[in-house]
Amino acid sequence: MGDIRQSLLPRDVLSAAKELLYHLDIYICNMVQSGRQPPQVDSKTLDLIEEFILHTPKDRNTPVRRMSALQELQLLEIMCSCFQEQSRDTVRQLMFSALFNLQGNQADESRMALLSKLVSMAVAVGRVPILECAATWLQRTHCLYCVRLAQVLVDDYCSMVPGSGPTLHNIHSASPRFCCQFIAAVTTLYDLTSEELTPPMELLQMIVSWIQDDPRLVLITFLNSPLSGSQPISSLDVTPLGGLIRWCIKAPLAYRRNKKQANDGSSDGELDAARLFSALHLSVLQVFMLLPNILNEKGLFGRLALLQMESVAALTSDLSRLLDQADKHTHAATSDTHAAPQLALDRLAQALQVAMASGALLCSREDLRAICSRLPHNNLLQLVLSGPVMYYNNIHTPPLAYSPHAAHSPIPAHPTLPPHTPHTPLAAHPAPHAQYPAQPFMTGMPFPFRPGH
Amino acid sequence: MSVVFDGSPLKAMQSSHSHTAPAALSAQELSQEIKSFISGVDAVQGRKLGVREHARCAVRLLRSVPACRGAVLEHLRGVYDEHVSTFLHNLETEGNASSGSTSNLEDIIQEVHGVLSEFIRLNPRAWAPLVSTWAVDLLGQLSSKHAGRRVAPHSSSLNELLQLWMSCAATRSLMEAYSQCLAAMLAWCPDACVDALLDTSVKHSPHFDWVVAHIGSAFPGTIISRVLACGLKDFCSHGAKDQGPLVEKGNRVPKIGSVVGILGHLAAHHSDSIRKELLRMFQESLAPSTPLSPSSSSTSWEASPQLRRAAVPFLLQLAAMSPNLFGAVSSELVELLRPAVLLQLQALLQGLPREELDNMLGLAVHLISQSPTGGARVLRFLADTATPASVIISGPTPSPHEGVREGCDRLLQMLLLHLHKLVFNRSEGSEVSPFCSTSSQPQRVIPFLEELRSHVAPLCAETLRLERKRHLWLHQLLCLLSVYGGPSVATETLCQLLTQARNPEELALAWQLHATLSSCMAGLVPAAVTHCVAQIHTHTLGRRQLRQLLLNLAAVLQSQDEEKKAAAAGAQSSMAAQIGSAVSVHLHDFGPLLLHGDPAVSHAAVRLLSCSPLPRTASPAHLLLLSRAAVTHFFLALRRRGEAGKAGQDAGQSGEAVSCSVLLLTRFAAYSALTLKAILQQLVEGALHKGNAELFGGQIADMSGAPVASPSVSPDLGASLLDINCRFGTTVNFSGSVWSVFHAGVIGKGLKARTAANLLDPSEVIQNIQTLLAVIVQCCSSSSLNGSQSPSDPEEPPPINAEAAKIVAVTLVENVCPDVANGELPWPPEEHARTTVERDIHIRRCFEAHPVLFHLLQVVAAGRPALCYCSAVLRGLLATLLSHWEGSREASSTDSPWHLQASCLLVSCMGEGQLLPPVLANVHEAFAHLTPFEVRLLLLAVWEYVRGNGPLPQKFVFSSDKGMFCRDFSRDGDVSRYVAPIHSVLHKNIDRLGHLCWRFQL
Repeated sequence: MGDIRQSLLPRDVLSAAKELLYHLDIYICNMVQSGRQPPQVDSKTLDLIEEFILHTPKDRNTPVRRMSALQELQLLEIMCSCFQEQSRDTVRQLMFSALFNLQGNQADESRMALLSKLVSMAVAVGRVPILECAATWLQRTHCLYCVRLAQVLVDDYCSMVPGSGPTLHNIHSASPRFCCQFIAAVTTLYDLTSEELTPPMELLQMIVSWIQDDPRLVLITFLNSPLSGSQPISSLDVTPLGGLIRWCIKAPLAYRRNKKQANDGSSDGELDAARLFSALHLSVLQVFMLLPNILNEKGLFGRLALLQMESVAALTSDLSRLLDQADKHTHAATSDTHAAPQLALDRLAQALQVAMASGALLCSREDLRAICSRLPHNNLLQLVLSGPVMYYNNIHTPPLAYSPHAAHSPIPAHPTLPPHTPHTPLAAHPAPHAQYPAQPFMTGMPFPFRPGH
Repeated sequence: MSVVFDGSPLKAMQSSHSHTAPAALSAQELSQEIKSFISGVDAVQGRKLGVREHARCAVRLLRSVPACRGAVLEHLRGVYDEHVSTFLHNLETEGNASSGSTSNLEDIIQEVHGVLSEFIRLNPRAWAPLVSTWAVDLLGQLSSKHAGRRVAPHSSSLNELLQLWMSCAATRSLMEAYSQCLAAMLAWCPDACVDALLDTSVKHSPHFDWVVAHIGSAFPGTIISRVLACGLKDFCSHGAKDQGPLVEKGNRVPKIGSVVGILGHLAAHHSDSIRKELLRMFQESLAPSTPLSPSSSSTSWEASPQLRRAAVPFLLQLAAMSPNLFGAVSSELVELLRPAVLLQLQALLQGLPREELDNMLGLAVHLISQSPTGGARVLRFLADTATPASVIISGPTPSPHEGVREGCDRLLQMLLLHLHKLVFNRSEGSEVSPFCSTSSQPQRVIPFLEELRSHVAPLCAETLRLERKRHLWLHQLLCLLSVYGGPSVATETLCQLLTQARNPEELALAWQLHATLSSCMAGLVPAAVTHCVAQIHTHTLGRRQLRQLLLNLAAVLQSQDEEKKAAAAGAQSSMAAQIGSAVSVHLHDFGPLLLHGDPAVSHAAVRLLSCSPLPRTASPAHLLLLSRAAVTHFFLALRRRGEAGKAGQDAGQSGEAVSCSVLLLTRFAAYSALTLKAILQQLVEGALHKGNAELFGGQIADMSGAPVASPSVSPDLGASLLDINCRFGTTVNFSGSVWSVFHAGVIGKGLKARTAANLLDPSEVIQNIQTLLAVIVQCCSSSSLNGSQSPSDPEEPPPINAEAAKIVAVTLVENVCPDVANGELPWPPEEHARTTVERDIHIRRCFEAHPVLFHLLQVVAAGRPALCYCSAVLRGLLATLLSHWEGSREASSTDSPWHLQASCLLVSCMGEGQLLPPVLANVHEAFAHLTPFEVRLLLLAVWEYVRGNGPLPQKFVFSSDKGMFCRDFSRDGDVSRYVAPIHSVLHKNIDRLGHLCWRFQL
């Protein structure tokens, strides 16, 4: 493969790239056919790719060759068809990796740029194989780069070109895996810490509708990935659940803050966002409810924590900081300003309870109490933290008058049902409650409060 | 997206879905579109796409495939370029092919423009940076590509260029798109678009100017401030590292170059706002940081402390690169630098590293030295700030102002150093002295000094205030200015210093200046003195200044004398010597000042002249003028002394004026025979002049016996010579007319009225007479005529020179006795005196009116044999005395005191003058004891002797041992026959005259 360099050098930029792609295809096909293990592209080939496709200067003597935007578009077009026409998944995957796996060198920037354009174009023209490859890429790559890819897509389809949102929306049908990874990346990217890091409305709508249409979408990567558990370090989470929970919990506070900064009467947008997050929260809880079966099928119940304890800890500390800020900024507490923190805490309590119950979060209540110790009081959270046995275990019992519900019914009839309906969307959708699985507590759960089960 | 919400957000979203879905192309179609776009061939029908279709395809892709954005924009560049080419081609062919394709493309361009502006409107944050960069780049490319076209006007004619490009649809559309982007981006990140503008401007420099001009005039305030902010950021990011005063002119920091270019461009119409903006930048950078300031957006440079720190160096750099900008700011900057601002500035600059500060200082110094206007103000500001407020303040704990002051101090010193270098390196390599350096050698102009040239006088005044450090700086500056400006400025400066200095300390500054300059400038002092003289002639100096100048010059000369005494030869004495010689050349110019109306001025003048050396050669006219002025001044001074004494004022100054005047006359008289003669003549004439007579106790027209007429009824005699002369025929017949005038009055009208003379105090008269005599004696004795023999005994006054005495004598005779008939020296017999009665009376009246005459006679007598020349006067006086004593019927001679005194004085004078032998000369001692007749007898004896032994100068011989002329009476005839009457009188009155007998022994 390395010997073709001399023949590529005199060519113009585009045809050299084309020829290299052609040779690469043949090379990988041969490699796969020969069954060499592991199917690894050698470094000389990688160098060629960097030189002739990514146009990274190899040494100082060779002048930097640049593609014009038109040539680049042609190259992208060729790549699209190339991946489209390649029938063998392995070859396609290998080729994609050879082209776009990060090497940790200076070519990575142009690699990322080219990849972003390729994926964006694939989304536009619906090239499923490329999206599949990109999904795999998203699984294996450091989350910082994943986030960059997601950013490009969001920019392209949600802000730059008006009316192109539906095109992106279609990816969930085209490539659910990619869609799932995209959600994971997007939730990592937009962590609601600032205005720039708040998801655009279009994106939010898109994600909510995706999950509402198919709650299993967020689990697709988890379902399809092997159980080796050999996740690359600092890659995206297997599921976007953590990120989605974070969105739902922080949203009431973050949007309120943004509104205050914007300081205009965009209550419509805020209302929209509130509804969307509410719906999202419900969907996420529903996804949690799907988990026990899946985990049990895989035999992983109680062994694999889909929700990491650390991320929960980070979330609660974030939340407590946000609440502190909210307290500081609004001394004249109206009912509205009071409602938002309580909503956030309610959602936290619900998510924790459901996650624990569904085996996505593996921890003891003591751990949770430690994590949540700095949060302000919330009845529901109190309830979740104390658990059903708090009546017997009086060490951590709060004063009786603290929670009238706890005082009157020390053992809740149905712990997953909150004593209040904390917000209207839940009240507006009473139906899903009935569909809740009737068996909220699983065997093997380290909860001591149902010994008889 | 117009969406009607119907309760559920999900439904709303879905409905929005379905709403926009039909407009969107399917994936398949998009793929086809991309292929068509890339190949330029319609993918479905397989035919080639026209330019318009291709462009439409591109626009469609732009709307639907985000990844194609770059390619589409790139393709559109071609379309725009095509349009511009066609447009220009049509212009060149004068539209005979009437724009077929142009109109075709124009609608496409409209379409593209519509799409882009829609995008920008919908999402400015995403699109504005993109489109603005693209548009600016394309504009730059188009304008430089087509700059060479025939129809394209030259890049210097901006307006035509603007007109051309704005009439082209493509460039106009780009310009509009860019303006839209700019308007959108100003809200949140104006720097980005201005950055692009700057970059492009650098790249396509002259051809792109019209864009900058257009944008700049569309958004003047913003563009100016943004361009500045951009430049500042760029400067901050790479300028600060290796910023040298002048090292990196354009090659290191490209942006600052284009910042300068753009601002220079806008300066034509918006110079005011540019100035405001620059000053605002300066002020903002100093203002205490307010993080929550509502006015500034988060991206503006004011928020970053680093940028704020860099603002001042940046502004300096900017100013260094563009004289226009500097000129705009410099005038008002100084006004801004109030103490509070200075403190802020100091606080700001304290954080900077040492070498950066040094660089800034160097830059500032460079700027100041190059500033063409306002230099004086800057200088005053610097000096004001750098001068310690008071000695007390600079205590142990430095106040915050101390830092500012030190800064200014340092700046000022650096400035001086810099100027020093500039000035002395100007004509490097050529040893041409400034005086003879011709204009052929181009010299570097230093605008700062150039401007200060016209401020020499105020600078000198400031310097002379001798404030602590300030005068040192200013003095140094004056030196530099003088060297820079050459002889004219140097002369002017020295002249100013000489005029304005008020005491020796201040005058010392003039020495210092001269000491510095003398090394490189020859002939400075004479030039300065000439300049001063010119000023005197043109009356540009006020009285005080004039007086000060004269006094200063005099002080210089006096110091020279002192130096000589101290035998310390230095630069100062050399300057004093130069001044002396220069003044001596212009002595005649100073002369008239002696008679200046202001006593102070004339006093100063006499002081100067009295100590000035006399020129080697001088024209007689000048000498005569001077001597006349000096003598006139002498009498003036006497008069003033008297007035001052009368008014009870401090007579010190007037007394000093008199002594100076005496000194002047003495020295002048010693200068040459001519001056001696002139002075003596004028002195005598002056002393006898009507106006001066009273100074010496003289009484004009004092008719003895006539009553004093009261001034109110001064009688009009009705006699007019003119009337009478007009009457025909009257000239022959004198009798009874006004012609029969006697000395006592008109015949028939009684005695002449006595004029009321205001008599002076006798003591004053005596003093005046003393002074006059002293002058005359000194003049006579110190004259150069007897200069060969120095007096052996310094205690003894030198003898009166015979020649000088002769001058006095002759003058005296001319004045007292204008009638020259019978003016020969030998005396006739006594009877002949009747022929000259009238003249004799005149002589006697002269003596009566001018008591000083006797004193003058005594002086003349001392200078033997000069008295011989007074023979006529003596004879006349003696004749009248004889007739008086003859007619006197008094019992004793003391009854007519004046005549007695006159007789005594006359005889003693003649004795002193050796016209009489001692025996005869002593007779006056007896007069007071005799009767009038006896006095007459004695006087007759005197007459007889003189008649017998004529008073001829040739009877005197010079005796070298006495150093004067003497008469040997033994050679004359026997004296005894003249002594007989004396002895008779002695005998007759032996009872009273016994004690005098020995005086008359032969």
